[in-house]
Amino acid sequence: MSPDLIPPAVRNRLAGLRLTARRAVDLHGLGLHHSRSRGAGLEFAQYRAYERGDEPRAIDWKLYARSDRFFVRESERESPLALWLLIDASASMAQEDEANPGWSRLAAARGLAACMAELALRQGDRFGLVGLSSGGLRLLDAGGGARQRDRLALDLNALAAAGAFPALTQLTPLWDRIGAHDLVVMISDFFDAQAMDLAARLAGARREVLAIEVLTVSERDFAYPGGHRFRDPETGAELLGDGPALRAEFLARFGTARAARHARFDSLGIRHAALVLDEQLDVPLRALFGARAAGEYG
Amino acid sequence: MPALLFPAALAALLALAVPLLIHLARRSEARPTDFAALEWLREKPRPKSRLRFDDLLLLALRLLLITGLALWLARPVLTESADRTPVVAAVPGVDAGPPAAAMRNIWLASGFPPGDEPQASCLAQACPPLFSLIRQLDAELPPDVPLTLIVPECLAGLDAERPRLSRAVTWKIVPGAMPASAAPPLRLHFILPAGSDPGLRYLRAAASALQSPGTPTQAIIVHIAAGPLPAHLRAAVTKGATVLAAPGVTAAGVATPIWHDTDGQPLATMQRIGRGYLYRFTRRLDPAAMPILLDPDFPRQLAAILAPPPPGRAMARDVAPITGAPPWPVPARDLQPWLALAIAALFAAERWLATRRRRAVSP
Repeated sequence: MSPDLIPPAVRNRLAGLRLTARRAVDLHGLGLHHSRSRGAGLEFAQYRAYERGDEPRAIDWKLYARSDRFFVRESERESPLALWLLIDASASMAQEDEANPGWSRLAAARGLAACMAELALRQGDRFGLVGLSSGGLRLLDAGGGARQRDRLALDLNALAAAGAFPALTQLTPLWDRIGAHDLVVMISDFFDAQAMDLAARLAGARREVLAIEVLTVSERDFAYPGGHRFRDPETGAELLGDGPALRAEFLARFGTARAARHARFDSLGIRHAALVLDEQLDVPLRALFGARAAGEYG
Repeated sequence: MPALLFPAALAALLALAVPLLIHLARRSEARPTDFAALEWLREKPRPKSRLRFDDLLLLALRLLLITGLALWLARPVLTESADRTPVVAAVPGVDAGPPAAAMRNIWLASGFPPGDEPQASCLAQACPPLFSLIRQLDAELPPDVPLTLIVPECLAGLDAERPRLSRAVTWKIVPGAMPASAAPPLRLHFILPAGSDPGLRYLRAAASALQSPGTPTQAIIVHIAAGPLPAHLRAAVTKGATVLAAPGVTAAGVATPIWHDTDGQPLATMQRIGRGYLYRFTRRLDPAAMPILLDPDFPRQLAAILAPPPPGRAMARDVAPITGAPPWPVPARDLQPWLALAIAALFAAERWLATRRRRAVSP
C-alpha cells in the first residue's frame, strides 16, 4: 500500500496477523488455507495407485521398495482465498471528530482495507475492492500480486463518501464476482438497514462475512459541550439540541441499537469488530485475525 | 483608600460586552454538526432563557483584562496610604537619646534620612534652613500624625517667621547650640572702572549710597566694557571674587535670573564660576530700559542681591512652632504603573491560554 494508508507502527504490528477463513476453500493454486482438492502439498492425505500422467517425483519410492508397486503420495493442497473488501462510501462515512479533523470514518476504512490487503498479499491470497455508494459501485476485481496492491491503493484514494447506501438492486454485480466461500470484509458504520441486509444476504449465500463497524469518538462519548445543530449527512435532517441534555438518552439508545446489531451479526454467524476513531487501526484486525481469533485449520 | 481621578473612563467597561458576545455559546449552533447517528438522537426541549458561554476560564481572563484597562484609564490612586506611626525628628548632632520605640526616628536634614544613618552635625557647621525643613516635614506628614522635634537650645539659620504648622508639635529642647552663620552683614565696596559710560553714574551713586564705615567689606568688581569676560577677571572670579557686569559682557556657562522687576521681568542674572560669582544686568544701564535705576530703593535692592542678609539666630524656646496652618493634602499614591504591570501579566496569560494547542474551537 502507499505509505500514507498504513501508519508505520500499525504496519509493524501486522506481522503477527493472518487472514483466516473458517471454512475450507476450493480453489486452485498454492495458498495457506484448507482445500478440498488434493494434490501436491505439505499435509499428507492418502496414497493412491499410480496413473499415467502422474509426476514421477510424486511416487513414494520407499513404498515401491516395500511393495513393488507404484504409489503416489497425495497431500492436501493449500489453496488461496479471495478477500473482498466492501467499503461503505455513503455520506455518513465522511463524518470526523472535531478533535481530529481529517481522520474521517472513510479514512480509517481506507487504512483498514490497506492493512488487510497487505495481509492477503503476504500470504498469496487474492483481494478485490467494492466501494458501496448510491452514486455507483466502484469495483476492483480480485487479483493478487504487487500490481493489484497498487491498483487497490489507487481505487481507495479515489473513493469519496457521498450519497446514501446503495439499494439491493444496485448490488447485482457483486453476486457475479464474489464466489461462494470467499472472505468478505464489510467496513461500514452499519447505521443503514441496507448495509445490515447486504451482510445478511452475503452470509446467507455461503460467503464468509466479517464486519468491522467504524464509530467516531463523539458517537461513543457524545461529549458535545453546548448547543449544536446536528445534521444527518445522508438525509439532511436537522436537530437542534443541547449536548449535555441529550447525552444520556442518546448513549442508552445508541447502545441498545448496537447491541441489537451485534446480536443479529452473531445469529448470522458474522464475526464482527469495532474501531473507534481514536484507536489504532489494528485493534479490530487483531480481534478478527489475531492468534486468539477463530481457530485456524479447524 | 482607593479612589479614581477620572471616573468617566469607567464607561470603557461597556467593552465587557465584546468578550461576552464572542464567548456566547451560540456559535456552534450556527454551523451544523455532521452526525450520522441522528436516528438515535431524541429532541429535548432545552431551556431557552439560559445563556451559556464557551471556554469560561478564557472568558474570565478577558473580562478581567478589560476591567483592568478601564480602571487604568480611570487613573486609580490610593489615598491615606501613608505611614501613620508617630515621627521623632532631631536636628543632626543633638543628643536625641536612645531611639524611641514604635516611632519613626528621622533627622531634620534634607531628604529626612532615618535616624540610624550618621549625619554631619549641625552643631559644628552651617545647615540648611531649619524652619524650611520643619515646614516641609509638616506638609509631608499626614494630618494627624504626632510629631516630636528635638532641637538644640540655640537655633541658627532661621527665617523671619516662626513656623506656622498644621499640627501641634512636641518641641523638645536639649542642650547644645547651632553655630552662628559666617559673619555679620558685609559692607560692600565697589571697584568701579574709570570712564564716562552713562550707566556708571547710577552704579557710582549706588556705591556711594552703600558706603558706610565698618569692616569687613566685600569687594565688588564692576566691569562695563562689552565683550567676553577678560581672562584676569575670570581668574579672579574663579578664586572667589564677585564681579558685577553690564549686559554686553559674555561668559560661558548658565546664568540664573535672581532679580526681577515688578512685572516679573529679570533684571539681573547670577552665574557661578569656580568659587566666585558673576552678576550681570540683563538690560542696558539706562533709566529708559531699567526704570529701577531711578528708584531710591535701588542701592538697597542691589546690596540685597549681591550680599543677601545672613539668616537669623534665636533661642529655641522663643521660636517654638505655632499651629493654625490649614492641613496639607496628603499626596495620593498613583496605582497606574502597578495596574499596568497586572494588565501586562493578564494579557500574557490570555494570549497563552488562547493560543495553546489543545484548544479545539477558537472563539
